[in-house]
Amino acid sequence: MLTNKHLKYESQKIGMNYFRVAIVLFGAQLLFGLVCAIQYLWPGFLFETLDFNIARILHINALVVWMLFAMLGSVYYLLPDEAGRDVVGAGLGKLGFWVLTAAVTVVVLVYLFIQIGPGKESTIWFINEGREYIEAPRWADIGIVAIVLIFYYNVFFTYIKGRQTGILTVLVADLLALAGLYLAGVFFTDNISMDQFWWWWVIHLWVEATWEVFVGALAAYGLIKILGAKREIVEMWLWIEVLLLFGSGILGLGHHYFWIGTPEYWWEIGALFSSLEPVPLVAMFVHVLYDWGKEQGHKEAVEGEGAHAVSNSPAMAWIALNAFGNFLGAGIWGFFHTLPQVNIYTHGTQFTAAHGHLAFFGAYATILIAMMYLGVQGAYGIKKMTMTFKSKMAIGLITFGVIGMTVALTIAGYEQVLVERAELGAGWDAYFIAQNLTWMKQAMGWRLVMGVITFIGFVYLLWDLVTIGEVEEAKEANELQSAVA
Amino acid sequence: MSNKSASVWTSIRFWRRSAAWVTATAVVLLMWLTFDTVKQISMGSDEDLKKGIRKRIPAPTVINYHIDYKFSKKRGHEVPVIGQKEPFFGKEWSPKEAAALLHKGKLTFQAKACIDCHTALGNGAYYAPDLTKAWLDPKWNNGTMTAMIGKKTKEEAMAEFLMHPDKYPTHGRMMPNLHITKDEAIALVAFLKHMSSIDTNGFPRNFSINAKRLKGGTNAH
Amino acid sequence: MIIQPFTDVNPSFFGMLNQGPLTLTIFLHTVLILPMIWIYFDEKKKLQNKK
Repeated sequence: MLTNKHLKYESQKIGMNYFRVAIVLFGAQLLFGLVCAIQYLWPGFLFETLDFNIARILHINALVVWMLFAMLGSVYYLLPDEAGRDVVGAGLGKLGFWVLTAAVTVVVLVYLFIQIGPGKESTIWFINEGREYIEAPRWADIGIVAIVLIFYYNVFFTYIKGRQTGILTVLVADLLALAGLYLAGVFFTDNISMDQFWWWWVIHLWVEATWEVFVGALAAYGLIKILGAKREIVEMWLWIEVLLLFGSGILGLGHHYFWIGTPEYWWEIGALFSSLEPVPLVAMFVHVLYDWGKEQGHKEAVEGEGAHAVSNSPAMAWIALNAFGNFLGAGIWGFFHTLPQVNIYTHGTQFTAAHGHLAFFGAYATILIAMMYLGVQGAYGIKKMTMTFKSKMAIGLITFGVIGMTVALTIAGYEQVLVERAELGAGWDAYFIAQNLTWMKQAMGWRLVMGVITFIGFVYLLWDLVTIGEVEEAKEANELQSAVA
Repeated sequence: MSNKSASVWTSIRFWRRSAAWVTATAVVLLMWLTFDTVKQISMGSDEDLKKGIRKRIPAPTVINYHIDYKFSKKRGHEVPVIGQKEPFFGKEWSPKEAAALLHKGKLTFQAKACIDCHTALGNGAYYAPDLTKAWLDPKWNNGTMTAMIGKKTKEEAMAEFLMHPDKYPTHGRMMPNLHITKDEAIALVAFLKHMSSIDTNGFPRNFSINAKRLKGGTNAH
Repeated sequence: MIIQPFTDVNPSFFGMLNQGPLTLTIFLHTVLILPMIWIYFDEKKKLQNKK
């Protein structure tokens, strides 16, 4: 992770830089998540020093930002491979990286040390905007838009001047939408319903439409790179996925418009379109496993048993996990509470938190980690990268931890829905009765335990990403020597 | 490849065209729906309130009216009911004053990052109670909190609580002191009262059983 | 009870469609999916011409 020595292209070096910052921010996300989890059990922990709202801002903003960093990194990394040429504006790309990293650092420091401000416009401009997930103050919004414009310029003109593959065509279109949607979140209104209406344009159309298509494109690239899957087939699947993801995801936005003051007709639109959202996720799952099996079978038929089609087994493991996790976390856990008949009780409970944890991990964290392993492989010039003990510990512990947190939060959600919402009727008093029940406390205890396990898994992951390159490089050099001897 | 791809189902072009068509059409439909919804969720005017015209999101001057939450047979769920005029912090607010107050309230709501502990309209964090109908909560209506804080009206009690939440702890998990000034607290209460008048299609469901339950005390702890 | 009385606060085109049995979602799905049949046959024709 710490070297670029075998990378030919400037674009890939920029990509590696983004990966390095992303993995650090991933660690920060987990740490602040642990603070929140502890506060659920011991509310006095860091009270009036680092209150829950601030810890949570850091938890969810670090999440969004590390993912955006890893996404930018992934695009810079795969761009030369796909386009067959280096990025058009490498200097500009580097500048963008440093400015963005500096801006993120300032935003984080302000969150940590200034935290909140008076009820004035200046707070929204300079401290925090107080809108979930996009709390970044307005000056940072403008900065982000500028950096993304640089990034998009680079991607677009490299695409125009290079090879225009199907994967790049999808990415170029998808990134434009992804960047443009951010603008729907950069304004202030006194009308809370209007506020949340447009806020969902950013959040939903990111995570349930454009980010999903992005993941489809990354998986397509990964399958070609790792398995040598046939481009024609992979790209055909990609277009089918785009069709299904956008076909269900864009109007699936309706499932956020059930209760925020918006008209009743969204019940029907939201219910039916978002129910179809798991369909493309099944398709992606089938596609990845089918390609894996097919290429492996093909390899064995040609080279005999014991031959491996996979040229990067940690990356492949994370991609397979992505295929399953996306379907389980985004698909199944999302469908659980997407119908208005159910959602009127589950809306705004721990149910949502359960879904959020498994979906962000399964759909996004996994594939971005896979891209980081691909980056390490490229940077050290390794032909066939295999899993180390640490890779296995990382994937095992993180997966176990996240699934454990999800199960705990789902149980907490059930309890909250049945007691607070159904039995007692959702008031201030009902809320606290449900929060103080043993079932809720036990679930929150398990969530913390599983969170700690996830964090240990992260330590293995970080350690592995830093060391695996040298280990595997040395192993290949040894094998080569013994083959020569 | 040309003689092999006789089936349209394995043609990349077919899927690419279909993907482009479906995406573009979904975007157009979403825009059409958005125009309709934005019109419906724009704030009503003071005139609407005076004439009793129902709007999903009423004008800021709704703070001058009594707000209730009642089951509607026609809608099949509870809806906000805007009633007679009542003073808010002892006076009637002009449209201009009310708008300025709501503006300050919403700004403060964001500046203090309320939504990262609470939910509003069900969106936010789950560490503290939902604020959608906080103004109507029987804990304030029945006088429990109001009496504890020692204020005559609900709005004064709420403002006092927001300024010094650490003085009135009710549970182990309590609200931190966010250095909310008196002006900000009044504005926040106006924001909460306005939010409680929004028609949320019956969310949170069964909210009004709280009032019955707390009066009878059968389920209360 | 197949056609339900209009219950929403403000009437609108989509609100009216919402009164029948899934009429709103059927309308939206039809607009999205039906033209794909035309795309299918158009592509088929092109493939056959190529042969």
